[in-house]
This record gives sequence, structure tokens and C-alpha cells, in this order.
Amino acid sequence: MIRVELRKLLCSRRTWVTIALIDALPVLVAVLLAVTGVGPRPGTGPAFLSAVLTDGTLYPLAALAMVVPLFLPVAVAVTAGEAVAGEGQAGTLRYVLIRPVGRTRLLVAKLVAVVVFALLAVVVVAATAYVVGVLLLGQQDVTTGTATFSGTSLTTPELVLRTLMSLAYAMLCMLGVAAIALFCSTLVDTPLAAALGAIAVLIASTLLLTLDAASALHPWLITRYWLAFTDLFRDPIFWRDILRGIGLQLLYVAVFLGAAWANFTTKDVTR
Amino acid sequence: MGGVRSAGRRWLAVTLGLAVFVAVAVVVRSWPAADDDVDAATLADRVQDSVDRPWSGYVVSQGTLALPDADRFSSVGDLLGEQTRLRAWWRGPDAWRVDELRPAGEVGLRHEGALTTEWSYETGIAEGTAERYRDPDVRLPRTVDLLPPELARHVLAGVRDDEVSRIGARRLAGRDALGLRLVPSLPQASVRRVDVWADAETSVPLSVEVYGDGDDPVLSTAFAEFDDTEPAASTVAFDPPRGVVVEDEDVLDIVDAVSRFAEAVPPRRLAGLPRTRDSAGAVGVYGRGVTRVMALPLDERGAGPLREQLALTPGASVTPERTVAVLGPLGVLVTDDGDGDGWLVTGLVTPETLVRAGRSLTPSWAFTTTAAPMTTTGGTP
Repeated sequence: MIRVELRKLLCSRRTWVTIALIDALPVLVAVLLAVTGVGPRPGTGPAFLSAVLTDGTLYPLAALAMVVPLFLPVAVAVTAGEAVAGEGQAGTLRYVLIRPVGRTRLLVAKLVAVVVFALLAVVVVAATAYVVGVLLLGQQDVTTGTATFSGTSLTTPELVLRTLMSLAYAMLCMLGVAAIALFCSTLVDTPLAAALGAIAVLIASTLLLTLDAASALHPWLITRYWLAFTDLFRDPIFWRDILRGIGLQLLYVAVFLGAAWANFTTKDVTR
Repeated sequence: MGGVRSAGRRWLAVTLGLAVFVAVAVVVRSWPAADDDVDAATLADRVQDSVDRPWSGYVVSQGTLALPDADRFSSVGDLLGEQTRLRAWWRGPDAWRVDELRPAGEVGLRHEGALTTEWSYETGIAEGTAERYRDPDVRLPRTVDLLPPELARHVLAGVRDDEVSRIGARRLAGRDALGLRLVPSLPQASVRRVDVWADAETSVPLSVEVYGDGDDPVLSTAFAEFDDTEPAASTVAFDPPRGVVVEDEDVLDIVDAVSRFAEAVPPRRLAGLPRTRDSAGAVGVYGRGVTRVMALPLDERGAGPLREQLALTPGASVTPERTVAVLGPLGVLVTDDGDGDGWLVTGLVTPETLVRAGRSLTPSWAFTTTAAPMTTTGGTP
């Protein structure tokens, strides 16, 4: 079942067009930075962006900080929203369920496919960003070497490891979005409505994070810890928000995948 | 019918799972703290003595004072008017590290002996430098002053036994914390009370809340994580990354500069408050504990923009002689001697105290090109 869903994902032209579109923003920013040489002032702009002019090897992280807040979750919401509602709209859901597999397994397979999509998107963005960062932006050996936020030096293996951990964390952060969109996908009949439902949750979360009056809710908002991967570049690594971010995503997955399971396994698919 | 029942069971299972999680979270958060029968004066002494105890942790402070955005003082506005996230490692008063966590970097202070190195990530890698300063006798507040142990020691300095009382215990950063309430007795005080919560085991303050007239603190700072084991020396020391040069700087901030280069001599008493040993050169520090006021002379370049910003503060009082703004319990006054120079008087005192202080300060003074003697005594009223 999982293999079938993965094949569908990887053979879909829409998958690769979406990833290419996500990838376009960091590439455009790199070109602009290289042409103008003007980065954001220190302390402003997305994480790592003012540092990449001196150290291009950090550009995958800057690219990640650009796509994680909006582009990547919207793409994940659209892909996950399509999962059940898309099959329903196309009239293929009833035929899919004729196969001797449980609906729970189908849901899990759909979630795995969405996670693989997020993984692909993150890897493509990071790989492209590394290439354009090294080719177009600063070379680390020319100036300061790669430093942590705390002012300690990072060796190349350390930088690679922490970058990979950042990619894994960013991918993990998309689990919650995928679970919400999947739940929405079992609720409504059109993929657009499912995607919009998940995107509405993301927008609400982002908005509430800016509101001091909602501070009691902040630790539970899905977007609260998305950019915590930057804490991997402090020394010692600051694990607090990263661990909370992982825990929160797992909680969202448990609740919304559970709700999707409760709803979908008894859903009437004959309409 | 069976499908409906099955759906109901599944929804019930999901809801029950969520309810169990919420219940566990509520129980953990509301776990009662163990109190101790130590009296308030003893606890205040223990807090002062805890300066040598090592610890490390993560601190979140929240200030509500909207200070005017005058460039030479803007760092104070950030500290007292916004949320600040700090990681700190404390081996003792002579070896500590405080990192202010920012979304895209850090600004860290590393203290060793009598020197403090400031590392700012984005500026540092762009310019390839870190800055090192000697410890000045007086300075503007810095991130280290927002740490609960440091803030508590400042507000409890010189406190009298009849000004403190016990207020029970609570859980903070996963530890039992004993409560201590300070109600300042000086008539010049604008702070109504300060609540200090000290770790039951080590007496290191875990939280400080400063209250003005309202029910909510105007400044609060608390550990979200606390560890009482001694941090490694290598964690505290600053070993610059490859390509970064540590540059020695002469002057830390405007208060440091004024204390060393202005000729003015602050009076022995100001608005009924005695000058303290924390004074240095032209900068006078008066009062005790949380009821403190600082007076320093400014030339037109320093006083002018500050005066303009103060005048924009809601409720500011502007006369030819002085501009006064009151931000909660914090008062700020800048005098005008007619040609733009003046004295800045600021502190946690009543507006009447500020005005009285401003009237008593002599208008004539001048900057020198060489450092004034670093004296903390002498001078004429």
C-alpha cells in the first residue's frame, strides 16, 4: 500500500513542479544577494541570511528558514489535502478501498507519502541552496570560517551533521501540517477545501504567536517551534525548543491522525 | 447503526487519549511546592551569599517599560521594555557567560576576571571582530543584570529586616522556590513591592518580579531551566572562531564615558538620598536596594535627543528647566541649563523625588579630554 502511494507521488508531475516552485525562492534570493552584495543588516531578516555573504555553506540553512514558515507547509497542506478528498472527488476512493487493505493502513500510507514529499522538498531545497551558496556566495575560508551563533568554530563534519539535523527537524515539523490536512481531507469532499482548512490553522497559529494576550496558548501552537532548528547552531546546542517542537509535532500527529482515523474508518465512501 | 456505534467508539478513544494527556499536563504544572520555615531576613542573607554558588540555566525576562528610543540608551529600552531570552553559565562572580538568544543569532557576554568580552554573531562574522572591555565602575544595565540572581542581589542590597516578609513557596523550573517579599520603606520609593523566589536548596534566586502601582509586574525575570552543577570552564571562556579578532575597547557606554571624562562632581546627597559607593567620577548613584537614582551630566549631543524623545512620551512634563517622563515606577528627568547641556536623573523613585533632585544639581560642568580620577568619594554639593 505504501509502495503504491509512493509510486503515485514520485510519478506525479505535480510533485516535482511544486518542489521546483518551492526551490525557486531561495535560488532567486541567492542570485539577488550575489549580484547586489547587499544582505540584510545584522540582526534583521531570516536566520543565517546576513551570514551567507561571508559563508555560502550556510545557505542551505538560510533557504530552509525562508521556505519553512510558508512555502513548504502550504505545499504539504495541498498534497495532504489531496490524499483522501482527491480520491473521493475523482471517484477512485471506493475502488481503492475494494483492495484487501484496511482504511487505517490507507491513511498511514497516505501520511507516509506526504512525509516523503516533505523530505524530498527539503532535500532538493537544501542541495540546490548548497550549490548556489558555494558558487555564488561567500567562501568560508576567505574570512572567518564557520562559526556557531555563540562564537565557537565548527569543523566541516560538525557543520554537515548540524545541517542534516536541521533538515530532519524541518521535515518533522511538517508532520503536524500533514496530519491536520489529512484530517481535513477526510472531512470534506474537495481537496481545495481540505488544504484551505489546514492553511487556515497555520495562519491562525502564526497570528496568535504575535499576540501577547495569547501567550498561554503559544507553547501549543503548531508553528511555535518551527524555526527552532537554528538552536542547533548555538554552543552548547540549545535542545529545549527543539525537543518541545518534536513533542508538539508528535502530539498533533497523534490527535489529528487519530481524528482522521476515527472519521475515515466509518466514512461513507459510496456517495 | 453498527457503523454509527463504531464511529462513536473511535471518537471516544481519541477524545479520551487527549483528555489523559491534558490531565497529566495539568497535574505536573500544579504540583505543590515544599515550603521551609526559614524567616525572611535569613532568606535575604542567604540570597546575598549565594553569589558564589555555581549554576547554569535558561532565563526569560519580560519588561513592560516603554522607554524613549534615544540611541545611546536604546539597549536599556530593549531590556526593560521587551521579552529577553537568556542562557547563562555561572561559575562565580569572576567567571560567567550570558548569551542573549535572538532568532537569527546571539549577543553573548563572557566575563573573566575584570574583563568582559562581547560577541555579537552577525556583526562578528561580518566584521571579524569581538569587543573586550574592562569592567567599568558604573554602566548602563546589560543582559547580565536581568538574571534573577543578579537582579535579586541588586534589589535586596541594604534591605532592612522590617522590609522583607515570607510569601510561601512555589515550583519554578522544576524546583521548590521559597518566596520573599520586599516592600521598600523609603518615602522616595516608586516600587510598591518586589517578589523574589529563591531555590530552596541553593538559595539562588530563580525569579524576581518588580511591581509598580498595578497588579502585574513591570519587570519579571525567571528561570525556565535551572541546573545547580558547576559549568565547565571551557563553556564560559571565549575562544574566538577562526578569523575573528578580539579588540580591546576603551569605553563601554555613555555612563562609563561620563564617569571618566566629565568634570562635574555629583553632590553628596540628592533628594534626601545619600550617595553610594557605586558612584564613580561624574556619575552619582544614590539610595539603596530597589530605591536607587542615578545622576549624570550630559552635553548637548547626549541631552538634546534624549530630551526630544522624553517629550514625546505620553504624560511627559516639559518646562524650560527640565523634561520629565514617568514610565510606571521608573522616572527619567533631563535638566536644561540654557545652552542644551543638562543632568540626566533616572531611577525607581517618585516624580517628586526626581524634580527635587533636578533642582539641586549644579548646571555648570564640562567634559575633559583625559580620564577623571576614578574616585568614589569626595566632591562638593
